[in-house]
This record gives sequence, C-alpha cells and structure tokens, in this order.
Amino acid sequence: MTTWILTADTSIAGLIEIAKARGGDIALIALSPQAAAIAGADSVTALWSEGTPAEAFAPAAVAAVTPQPGDLILAPNRPAERAIAGAVAAALNAPVVTGVREASADSIDIGRFGGISLETVTSAGPIVAVVEGGGAAEIGTAAPDAAEAETYPARVSAENSAGTVASDLSSAKRIVAAGRGVGSEGDLQLIREFAAALGAEVACSRPLAEGLDWMPKETYIGVSGKTVKPDLYVAVGISGQLQHMVGAQDSRRIVAINTDAKAPIFAYADYGVVGDLYEVLPALTAALA
Amino acid sequence: MSIVVAYKWSANPQDAAVGADGVVDWSRAKAGVSEYDTVPIELGRSLAQAAEREYIGISVGGKAVATPMAKKGAMSRGMDRGIVVADDATGDWNLSQVAGALAVLARQAEAEIVLTGDASVDENAKMTSAVLAGHLGWPCFQEVSAITPTDGGWTLTQAIPGGTRTVEVTGGVVVAITSDAVQPKVAGMKEILAAGKKTVDVVDVADLGVADVDLQVTARTKPVAAARKHEVFEGSDAATQLIAALRADSAL
Repeated sequence: MTTWILTADTSIAGLIEIAKARGGDIALIALSPQAAAIAGADSVTALWSEGTPAEAFAPAAVAAVTPQPGDLILAPNRPAERAIAGAVAAALNAPVVTGVREASADSIDIGRFGGISLETVTSAGPIVAVVEGGGAAEIGTAAPDAAEAETYPARVSAENSAGTVASDLSSAKRIVAAGRGVGSEGDLQLIREFAAALGAEVACSRPLAEGLDWMPKETYIGVSGKTVKPDLYVAVGISGQLQHMVGAQDSRRIVAINTDAKAPIFAYADYGVVGDLYEVLPALTAALA
Repeated sequence: MSIVVAYKWSANPQDAAVGADGVVDWSRAKAGVSEYDTVPIELGRSLAQAAEREYIGISVGGKAVATPMAKKGAMSRGMDRGIVVADDATGDWNLSQVAGALAVLARQAEAEIVLTGDASVDENAKMTSAVLAGHLGWPCFQEVSAITPTDGGWTLTQAIPGGTRTVEVTGGVVVAITSDAVQPKVAGMKEILAAGKKTVDVVDVADLGVADVDLQVTARTKPVAAARKHEVFEGSDAATQLIAALRADSAL
C-alpha cells in the first residue's frame, strides 16, 4: 500500500501524518526543489524547472503516479496541487474527495456541502484526496535532481509581489478573525492591537479578502478559504454563516463579539460579547495588558 | 472555435435541511446559477468580444438545468448559446464523472479555453476545473483574475501568496476565476427576453460515453455539533467578564 503525495511546497505536515497513520510506503511527487527535500518519503520524483509553473508538469505527474487499488493520492488544498491532482484523477478515472476528516487504510470520512452531511466513502480503485496541508514538514538533507519531464507549454513571464506574505494560520494556537462588522480598513488596527495583546494571528472572513481587499487572500477562513483548528478562535464582527464556520468550527474554544445578539455566530460560540466592537476591543486589549 | 464557460445550477447548502441520517433535503433551497460562476460568465463575455469568438455555456446537472427558468437565468448573463446535460441521474454522479461529462460538452463546443468559477456554492471542492482539464489534456490554472488572448494562446494573471504572477500559455487551457475578478452585471428585462430565444442543446447521458468512476458511500450521518458553552456577556464590564471566563477555562 502506497500513499502518493503531490506537492509544490513544504507545508504538508498534515499529509505526512495521514500517510504515516495509514502505513505502507510514501511516494513523493515534488513540484519544487524545496518540496523535493522533504524527509520521510520512500521515493521522490522531482518535477520542476525555473520559469515553468508547477501546473505545467501535469503530464509528467500523471506518468509518475502509478497506483495500485487501495492506494491513496494526497494533494494539499492549494491551486497548483489541485490542478495536478485533477489531471491525475482524470488519467486514472479515479474519484476525487475533498473536505477530508479522516483517512484510514480502507475508507475516508468526508464532509459534504460545507460539512452539513458526513459520508464514509470507499472505492475499488485508488482515490485522490485533497486535504489541508498543515504546517511545515520535516526537511531531509539531499534533494534529488529534477527529472526529465513532459510539460504543457506554459511559462511564468513576470511576478509581482504585494510585499506582504501572510503568516501561517494552519499552525496558529490563537486566531482573531475580523468580519464585515469592521467599518473601514483603518479600523483593522483595533483588531491587530487586540491580536497582539492576545498573542494571536489575524485572519478574516471572505468579504474582507475578496471584494474589499483589506486582507491578504491567504488569511480568509471558510469553506473555500483556510480551515483552522486553533485553541482559541475569536470572531469579531462576523455573523457566522455556514460557509465561514466550516473553516473554524473545530476550534477548541470559540469567542464571538457582535452587536447582533441573534447573529448565528453565537450558536457556535463558547463565549460571547454582545456589543460594539469599537468599545469591546479596546476594553479587551486593556484588560489583557 | 469558441470561448466556453462551465456553470453549475445549484443551491446554497445554508438553505438545505439535513435529516438525522445525513441525507440532504434540497427541496426548500432555491437553485440558481452558482454564485461564484457569475464571475467567470461575466469575464468570459468580455473575453469572447475581445477574441471575436462565439461564447458558449456548458453545464451538467439534473432536469432543472434545462427548464425555461434555468435557461434564461444562465443565457441572460451573456452566452450566445448553451450545451447541457439535464438528467436527474447525474444527481448520483461524483465530481470526476461530472468533469468527464463537461469535457465531452467542451469538445462539442469546440472550445479553445474553458472558464469556471473558483468553486461551486454547494460542494466548494475547487476540483472540477482541474479534472476537466485532465480530460481535455490541457493545463489548469486556478485563482486567475484576468485573461488576455495572445497569438496562439493566452496571458493569465494568477494570484500567488503575497502577490500575482503572469503566465503565458500556448494552446487550450482551463481557467478557474477568482470570485472578485470582475463585478457581474445583473441581467435586465431586455437580456432575459433575448435569452429566451437562445438555443440550449440538451445532450443525452447515453450519448456522452463517460466512464463510471467508482466511489461508494458506505455510511452517512448528520454531524454532531460540538457542545459549546454559550456564555454571553453584555454591558460595560463584559470585556472583563470575558477575560475572566477565558482564564478560568484555561483558554488564556
């Protein structure tokens, strides 16, 4: 039994954990030099080339993944890896599962439709599963050289950095998430000050990252964004729609701060404050000082 | 040759009911063009104009996809015509089968490029574009916010952590569009009336030739919500009470 891992990045501790729990071999398809150096794999196929996007290596990845029935093919939930995983699934005529809760040797538990229903699924052939990457995987010493590879005709002609790389939320112990209740981009400073006093990372709900562009896309929590499981999740000015809560509902403790006592977020919360965040946050920051 | 957009006729799970056995009841949830798909439809319309190509919508779903309401709902957003699979048997299909069927429709439409949404409003898997590309033998790029036609291909603007990059692709490509790439226009009465006259061809499931993809559901349950404390504080000393409660709970 082999677990195949497709990755362009080293943030796949969650995938290695699943593979080790299942037992058997780990075959790593590494789509960057950094990924090729990840420790713990029984075999490594290195597929990368300067100036070529990882997505273009789909034909080579398809050729490299040769699973047996009962094998699992894992990809972290990121754009390039999803593109490669889709190509592999199409070539193998294999099913694709997302929203993975648990993967054992012979079945996978998944959440459907934003987690409103849980299913246990199995297949006679290999399954392609897209899962949250988790934190950084352990790095070994020697990475193999890139293999000769068939690629699609695509190249990266420019990169523009916005200058901000978001912190890694997947391993954060405390997270403060801001929502639409925050009135302006400048007011995020209140959130940042509170998060600093709490020793927490700052995240947000979808509208703040897409549409308003106040926060980096990598920081939004929800069914199509990040899924996090911190010890403490403080939702500030977030109403608590299903699509957001899917990404945060497994947090150990959830705190809600909202002006609307009837907001759905309070149904998910261990602790709540009904009040204006512009009054509550400075008071909390002061109380923590 | 054409610009193709794949769209899904689906409902928001927030409006669905779930039985204790985990079976989802969609009867009270109102279906429509999946919210995130309205963005690629809008972007594709401009692209088809810029590239001077026919603009075709494709969709795979239940009978509802071919109702007059669904046809108008989709076509009023700017496609020239549609090719759909509208059969309730697709309700049991997994994502890989749906993507395989979409690939057949894309070939029938003689697609040069296929656009999709970021994710569907119901499944949110972000994988249909990728499997579809695999079937077409094309690359797939996700989180793309802009597309420009070039001689023999496309220039894509793709979001990457901390910024964007420009990718030059030669030949066909499947592109998943970010949900904030463009602002979708709301169709007016004129567009809705015109949509009623557009052709939407319905392809029979038997004519697709899509292989079965084995995925069996061996158990299904409604998730048990985590037990929460629901202690809510109000008033002037709410902040102090909250911090005290978190400390007592060893959460701080």
